[in-house]
Amino acid sequence: MEQLNRLDKNRLEVPIGFKDGMRVHGLIYVNKRLEQLLEPQSIHQVANVAMLPGIVGASLAMPDIHTGYGFPIGGVAAFDIDSGGIISPGGVGYDIN
Amino acid sequence: MKDLVGVLYKEVPSGVGSHGRLKLNSDDQRRVIVKGARWAVEQDFGSPEDLEKTESGGCMGDVDTSVVSDKAYERGRAQQGTLGSGNHFMEIQYVSEVYDEQAANAFGLYKDQVTVMIHTGSRGFGHQVCTDFLSSMNLASRKYEIPLADKELACAPFNTQEAQDYFSAMKGAANYAWANRQCVMHWCMESLSKVFGSSPQGLGLGLVYDVAHNIAKVEMHNVGCASKRLVVHRKGATRALPAGHPELASAYKHIGQPVLIPGDMGRASFVLVGTQGAMQQTFGSTCHGAGRVLSRHQAIKKAKGRAIWREMEDIGITVMSAGRGTLAEEMSEAYKDVTDVVDVVHEAGISKKVAMLKPIGVIKG
Repeated sequence: MEQLNRLDKNRLEVPIGFKDGMRVHGLIYVNKRLEQLLEPQSIHQVANVAMLPGIVGASLAMPDIHTGYGFPIGGVAAFDIDSGGIISPGGVGYDIN
Repeated sequence: MKDLVGVLYKEVPSGVGSHGRLKLNSDDQRRVIVKGARWAVEQDFGSPEDLEKTESGGCMGDVDTSVVSDKAYERGRAQQGTLGSGNHFMEIQYVSEVYDEQAANAFGLYKDQVTVMIHTGSRGFGHQVCTDFLSSMNLASRKYEIPLADKELACAPFNTQEAQDYFSAMKGAANYAWANRQCVMHWCMESLSKVFGSSPQGLGLGLVYDVAHNIAKVEMHNVGCASKRLVVHRKGATRALPAGHPELASAYKHIGQPVLIPGDMGRASFVLVGTQGAMQQTFGSTCHGAGRVLSRHQAIKKAKGRAIWREMEDIGITVMSAGRGTLAEEMSEAYKDVTDVVDVVHEAGISKKVAMLKPIGVIKG
């Protein structure tokens, strides 16, 4: 398992090699202080989302990230409709809107 | 403040499974999920101008009402126009700091102004929609042979019937949420009028913005050199469109979309503005709140033997709550410091700070 890379003051990269099957990398918007509060499971969730069909750019997480149902809360993920991109109820959650 | 919080608590139903002032028959309910906030405005809850200051005009189109289960309709029937429980709230706040005068001015915000923030969603209706479609998506994931690292990621390719049915029901739930907040806001304004003996106009009340933070939308974004049609999932993330974006209504086109970031009940909340940086980095998205650091269970354990309401009172914040455990679950220590969260998105350039709001009266479900 590869380590996380600090890209700059506010962004932490979850590299493609972090878990097998990742199509894009993960990017978590946290500074060093908020990095201390990251739950390991939420990082795995960012990586898991990166494996889904049609994902583009990166599996993103905002600094208020915490572990959610499947997708992390604080997560942003975009899927290309014309390349088999998916929609997932876990990517929205129970508290819709 | 006690009187005001008391009136708001009485006028807007809150708490787990709380029932509202509206009793919708099934035709009404279908209208709510097709029309969203527009339905509420048609019932004289608020004004058409509010829709201009609501994400997507408070309505996502093309909802097929037949894909929603009877159980979802049943759970949603009496809950339109209610606050609910958990982290949902209504807060009386004041503008404690302005960071961007120009944007604050465009949003109608100024230092020491009193504001109200409402945080609620699609209640039991949306919860049931999610529950229902998690099982159908489980089957779909197998049918379309999508390998999943975690079964909770159940999904389907967007161009399939299963995906379209979920998307339709999700849009219905999103519309239910927009209608819900429109009703709650209207009763909140009525209550303020009653307490201060002046009309909402006389008190200078108006909507700054209504924005979603748990939603999937079809949007156009640049990927590499091409413009692509994407399904953007924002789960605990807020849309943050920059000035000039075609989806922004005229009121904010020149300045960018207001972004509301509710913090915990003891510290602060923020108003941000969307940026070009968000379009370039995060599909036009930013954070949505403070984010929990303690689970609800851990928070309750930590609050044992303490009177959270009194601790809040001691720092000048009046609190009323319907649920006994809610205040413990929602105490400040259960959350990250929202100021840290907002500083990251501000510095990363995916939204900019406009104003800080501090709570003085809190109604929790």
